[in-house]
Amino acid sequence: MAISKAEDAMLEPQLDKIRHVKYWTRCIKTLLPHQYTSNDSNRMYLAFFIVSALDLLDALDAASNEEERQGYINWVYRCQHPDGGFRMWPGTDLGARSNPENAQWDPANIPATYFALSILLILKDDFKRVNYEATLAWLPKMQRPDGSFGETLVNGRVEGGQDPRFGYCATGIRFMLRGSSTGDLSVNGRTIPDVDLDAFVRCVRVAEAYEGGIADAPFHEPHAGYTFCSLGALAFIGRLSTKGSIDETPPTAPCDPGAVVSWLVHRQTELTDPDAGVDSEFTAPQDMDDVRELENGKTSGAQHDGTVPAHQDPVGTTAISIFDLLVDGAGMNGRINKVADTCYGFWSGASLHIMQQPKLYDQEAIRRYLIGKTQHPVLGGHGKFPGDLPDLLHSYLGLAALSLAGCGEIKAVDARMCLSKDACARLPAIWQSFTAGR
Amino acid sequence: MPDHAEDEAKYYDDPEWADIEPIQQADQGPNPLAAIAYTDEYAEAMAYLRTVMARDEKSERVLRLTKDVIEMNPAHYTVWLYRAQVLFATHADLHKELEWLNETASQYQKNYQIWHHRQLIVSRLCPDPASSAATRGPPFPGAGIDVDSLVAKETSFVASMFDKDAKNYHVWSYRQWLVRHFGLWDKGELEFTEASIEKDVRNNSAWNHRWYVVNGKEGSEGVKEEKVREREIAFTKRQIRLAPQNQSPWNYLRGILRKANLRFSTVQDFCIEFADLSKPEGDDVFSSHALDLLADIYAVDEGRNEQAKRCLLLLKDKYDPIRANYWQYRLEMLDKEMGSGIDSHLPEHETRNLTSAVSV
Repeated sequence: MAISKAEDAMLEPQLDKIRHVKYWTRCIKTLLPHQYTSNDSNRMYLAFFIVSALDLLDALDAASNEEERQGYINWVYRCQHPDGGFRMWPGTDLGARSNPENAQWDPANIPATYFALSILLILKDDFKRVNYEATLAWLPKMQRPDGSFGETLVNGRVEGGQDPRFGYCATGIRFMLRGSSTGDLSVNGRTIPDVDLDAFVRCVRVAEAYEGGIADAPFHEPHAGYTFCSLGALAFIGRLSTKGSIDETPPTAPCDPGAVVSWLVHRQTELTDPDAGVDSEFTAPQDMDDVRELENGKTSGAQHDGTVPAHQDPVGTTAISIFDLLVDGAGMNGRINKVADTCYGFWSGASLHIMQQPKLYDQEAIRRYLIGKTQHPVLGGHGKFPGDLPDLLHSYLGLAALSLAGCGEIKAVDARMCLSKDACARLPAIWQSFTAGR
Repeated sequence: MPDHAEDEAKYYDDPEWADIEPIQQADQGPNPLAAIAYTDEYAEAMAYLRTVMARDEKSERVLRLTKDVIEMNPAHYTVWLYRAQVLFATHADLHKELEWLNETASQYQKNYQIWHHRQLIVSRLCPDPASSAATRGPPFPGAGIDVDSLVAKETSFVASMFDKDAKNYHVWSYRQWLVRHFGLWDKGELEFTEASIEKDVRNNSAWNHRWYVVNGKEGSEGVKEEKVREREIAFTKRQIRLAPQNQSPWNYLRGILRKANLRFSTVQDFCIEFADLSKPEGDDVFSSHALDLLADIYAVDEGRNEQAKRCLLLLKDKYDPIRANYWQYRLEMLDKEMGSGIDSHLPEHETRNLTSAVSV
């Protein structure tokens, strides 16, 4: 994208909507190339990206007809597990040879269930074929004593990491099926216990790190993806604290919302080039020399001495000028001192929206980064880093992040659910139908 | 070493597999979503996998088959668990398994399952290091495992993974598990973090690991203990002087003060080294993080609110303009408190009893 005049630099780059629609239409109409085989066990997740992206671009009806959409809905239901929940894809279904002894190898999967229900929601399904009772009964079995959720139940053991992604998906499933109601549910004469909300809040709290973000386990490094999942999950269960003090009746999290917000706004970075030699935000000429010398095995005078401050000229502090900032924008990273990556535009940006601070980050700068740097100029979609080929995950999250950052060409996004507000608005009717059905 | 001939074996034509009737993938209807153009090789391996899973078969040939599937689809969420069960049931050589994991790790660096599998294998080899610790050294009768040798191999492998990517999240998490499981708190971990930080002072994962080594042992006081705290503060200050605009050690410093329940003002003079606003010739600022911390220090003291404001304005307009909206928000919060006369902008640990279970 050549900038010929200084004034051009000030014009905001435009989303190439047509190219994005083409990209996603290809994804829904044709087979994904065999390189996606290593993502075979994530197909429900990929399917969600495809359907939701077309929805965000308001192109679902153009890219598919009614019969095809019904076909997609049927495919999702084909992945529904007989004991509640959904599979990620038909690959673990043992068909006619299923029996109680081999059932452990074909479990329902927590993220798959969340994305399956999301797809049904977007496609305007009425959820009548969802095994509501069995799915809700399965959720508490997926929770460990420490409050965390797992991915699958294999041979009676909750498997998968102790990971907020599963907490996010589990609470998201719960939210889509029962909204904000709490406590035991009476369904067809059967009592279905709720998950332990207090325990879940506790497991988020203990993963809050000294630097202010949230990790996947106590003492692990905080990470924007895990922070998003934790905050989203807390929002789903109505236990999110966005103000100064935390509650104990009932318990909320995070313990220090101010620290979390500060950590999140610091995810925005001008550092966009993963091949740059120095992985830091500010780079003064002296700083660069220090690092180069380190790489050569030598050390600078400043290091030996230890007491001489590494002088940074404030004028030359940034490696790029304000002009560059205006043109290139600034994306977001997932951890301190890492380079910007398209997807963190969503994980970090959406987290701020969930914390009810949507304006604290520089929305224009991130729009410039996503459209100007990582949008693919020929294929549409987004890559991970500038110049990368597009992939489903980064292309979807790029759109979602742009919507949250004020790009008017994309439908409004619900920051917690990572799909359109339109789709989200159908939930109250679904909750009603479940309540009526009981 | 990978056996290429076996990787390419067609199960259908292989007499060893003649007893198997493969289970084809369930019919997906006319409109599947995210359908992938499988290679024949993958489709076949998956069909055979489903069949042996259906029989819950635990045999050596399953080890070859699961390896095959894993190499094409390492994120399959039951195949690793199945493989582990088969390894244990067939009393397979777990050291060989670790060697294979070493080889494949560089391909699947960001895959959770591979690290969980490794943990299972290592735990199986050495379920209770504490009891074996009494007789460390060459293999002793009945134990079959030299704990020190296993630990040395694991830490060496982890170090080699860091050579490829010094910030790999899963590898750092695995290293934390090694420290906890084998009780390596005083066995060179602190030195390891120091070496990592020396290699790259901006490696936040290394800083995080240091925090863990210093504060993570159950029952230890960590930086609440004065000697430890002084050592850590001195270390952190040294690193800040090397690169004042590096956020990692500034957060580490704040973390120490919070955990030890010390006021931020104890490091006021240190901050001023990097952000001196008193000079008549102009601001002398080398670090926006110093300014940020000074703003917090001054905000506590009603008499110095104007100084706090000045720091925030400098951040907003000059030293950290990308976060201008955030610094403006901080200014507004400060104004609110100044107007109300209530000093409610104290850093969290200075106003509140931390009754919740926060491991800081």
